[in-house]
Amino acid sequence: MKRVLPIVIILVALAVALGAAWYLKQNATRSTAPVANGPVAPVPAGKPAPTVVEPGAQPPHAIGVAGAPVTLEEFGDFECPPCGRLHPELKQIEHEYGQRVRIIFRELPLVPTHAHALAAARNAEAAGLQGKFWEMHDLLYENQKTWHAAFDVRPIFEGYATRIGLDLERFKRDLGSEMVERRIFLDGKRAHSLGVESTPTVFLNGRELSFESLALDKLRGQIDAELAKAAK
Amino acid sequence: MNLPGSLVDTSQQTTNLKNSVLGGPIIYGVAALVSLVGLFDAIYLTIGHVTGRSLRCTIVTGCDEVLSSPYATVLGIPLALIGAVAYFTCFSLATLAAFGYRTAGKLLTLIVALMFLTTLALLYLQAFVIGHFCQFCLISAAATFALAALLLARRFNWPTSLRSRGSGR
Repeated sequence: MKRVLPIVIILVALAVALGAAWYLKQNATRSTAPVANGPVAPVPAGKPAPTVVEPGAQPPHAIGVAGAPVTLEEFGDFECPPCGRLHPELKQIEHEYGQRVRIIFRELPLVPTHAHALAAARNAEAAGLQGKFWEMHDLLYENQKTWHAAFDVRPIFEGYATRIGLDLERFKRDLGSEMVERRIFLDGKRAHSLGVESTPTVFLNGRELSFESLALDKLRGQIDAELAKAAK
Repeated sequence: MNLPGSLVDTSQQTTNLKNSVLGGPIIYGVAALVSLVGLFDAIYLTIGHVTGRSLRCTIVTGCDEVLSSPYATVLGIPLALIGAVAYFTCFSLATLAAFGYRTAGKLLTLIVALMFLTTLALLYLQAFVIGHFCQFCLISAAATFALAALLLARRFNWPTSLRSRGSGR
């Protein structure tokens, strides 16, 4: 028995380790059934997800028409490098599919993982109050490496605000406004209610896409499949 | 006939024998538990690497920088995966050593020595090359240092040596 026991312990530990790896992988790349604003969310296997899906900030920041056959909802963090890499892909999708695809952006600044993420989210939301959310969104992602490395991002962000033609004084006031904080908070609540913990997380017509399937070709394939389904 | 002096010596030997019998398995048992901490930390990092998303880094802010740096892979293999294999090997060897397999104890010392040197190199890279620390890498470093400390304690027969000194006063 004494000879067999250590082998049994090692095999049990191996099984637990492989099980943990499988669980984490499933959690990270799980796909959920479609969800929309408001209804009861499906609970992924083994995950204690809240049951009511929060609607998020209203109206959401969206490109495209509300009745588009395909909606991509991204939970993003302006300072997250994978989000920065996804940005040109989504621009390409927007360019290729036009009004057939609606793209929604939700704020999910990962704090304190990214030191400037919350400031960047406030920056984009403050620009949104002057109707220039997407202009700021694009600038933040396109220059992510520049401001990410900076100690003080305020002058850089103010430079972006000036560049896209915002009223700078109003922009500065809005940065700390309740409206801006509330929008970020509500998007965060929606993320939490959907069990989103990492960025970028993208939902296609309410179905969460695995990170691997966010590659441009795979994304196109899934959009085409949804469009074909909608055309039937 | 036993002289008083020889009686003391015999009891000292018995104490040393008890400590070496108890101390070895206990130290190796603790080493196995520490290896498990390192193993699950490395598994978490490996899955983070495979899925490629930004993970919540709750204590420090440099996880993305460290985990997306060129030093996070060796010949295309995630360093975290190599770490997971190393920790599982440590766990297996420590378990075997706790059950009296002497060769396992020697192999464990060798592997922990290699891991210790690798950890020093990785800490250097985080501090002076990448300029950021990743909390999960720091947990792994702490696990390796703890393993090294345990094996050093075993090597120098602690706590037996301390007790021997204490009883000599």
